[in-house]
Amino acid sequence: MRYTRRVRWVLECDTLGKRFGVRWVFRGLSLRAETGNVVVVQGGNGSGKSTLLRIVAGLTAPTEGRVILRYGAQAVATRMDYLGWCATDGALYRELTAYEHLAWWATVRGGTPSREALLEWLARFELAERAHERVRAFSTGMRQRLRLALATWGQPPLLLLDEPDAGMDSSGLALLERVLYEQRTFGLALFATNRAEHARWGDLVLEMGA
Amino acid sequence: MLQEWRLRHGLMTSLLMGVVTVAALSFASLGVSLSVRLQAGVLWLAVLFGMFPALARGFISEEELGTADLLRLGARPSCVFWGKWLFHLTLYIVLSAVLVPLYMLMIAPLAGAWWAWLVLWGLGGVGLVTVLTLCGALVAGTASRGALLAVVTFPLLLPMVLMLIAATEQILQARPMWQSLQGILGYGLTLSAGAAWIFEKIWRE
Repeated sequence: MRYTRRVRWVLECDTLGKRFGVRWVFRGLSLRAETGNVVVVQGGNGSGKSTLLRIVAGLTAPTEGRVILRYGAQAVATRMDYLGWCATDGALYRELTAYEHLAWWATVRGGTPSREALLEWLARFELAERAHERVRAFSTGMRQRLRLALATWGQPPLLLLDEPDAGMDSSGLALLERVLYEQRTFGLALFATNRAEHARWGDLVLEMGA
Repeated sequence: MLQEWRLRHGLMTSLLMGVVTVAALSFASLGVSLSVRLQAGVLWLAVLFGMFPALARGFISEEELGTADLLRLGARPSCVFWGKWLFHLTLYIVLSAVLVPLYMLMIAPLAGAWWAWLVLWGLGGVGLVTVLTLCGALVAGTASRGALLAVVTFPLLLPMVLMLIAATEQILQARPMWQSLQGILGYGLTLSAGAAWIFEKIWRE
């Protein structure tokens, strides 16, 4: 699908529920967000923040309800093609370098970017100097930056961030704040966090387990 | 593939298993003349032993490391399936390059027409690789993948192995093997088509 920035993206979650065994993690969750919105998802451990983001991403099926991503009035068939995903526990290939990760990701996303473009993108996340080091040598914060770089590559209209602030230093947090700020101009984001002070980065707050 | 190549322990484990199997059977059968059927069985046993560790190196290790989500988000299911299939096929070719000469040296020479071996090896490889890739994919997302792997793999693998042994025996005895080859080809093609279709359904929950 070709899209322009004048048409708005809309994410609709309609009475979502997820049950593991006999336990409902959440039920009856409805949400509507559109281009320009950053939704902060808060809640204690086990409240279902990550589960909600996985459902929105299409990585986990909801027990009930549905998720729709619309481009204007038109619902997109494959949400996964339009989203960026960054999760704290999202693994990277330990034996690949940051550059190889981004090159691979750009390729599977359907592009053939130049080496310069890839290095420039890594530089945005302060990874250019260590672009050719294997990920196993990276610190927690650097891995998180790489996940962010992958998630935001191609400026996906829907950005899903599951505790991306975990393990980040102050410059990493500033970077994250900038990513969320920029996302508003062409799409929307769901940002799950345990840190109450980061709720100010969003303009909608979804309190899970409340 | 690059990750596996740099790690190497998956490849080394497979080679070790295959080489140890050939060496142990060679030692156990020292001074004994193996029947043709036994020779055929030993050959495929060595290949299978070498391939089994790769079962866990495909989809299962992606799930356990958590990288499966990256694949789910980034790539089409068919690309993921055939990528893993290609990985297993590469391993099969590497294993064959090591195990076949070793088998000829330590167990018995491969008598019969070379083209017949080539056809059998090609079809057998495609069949085995498809079964193993499919089984890995089927159980990777489940909680009790260890136990389930054996239960799922055994019934799918057994017909293919039996047909491969029968065809090998026929080549060694210089008997016509077209019927066995037809069986291997039919089973392999059916599984390949079915596997790709099933994978599309199960890969994204």
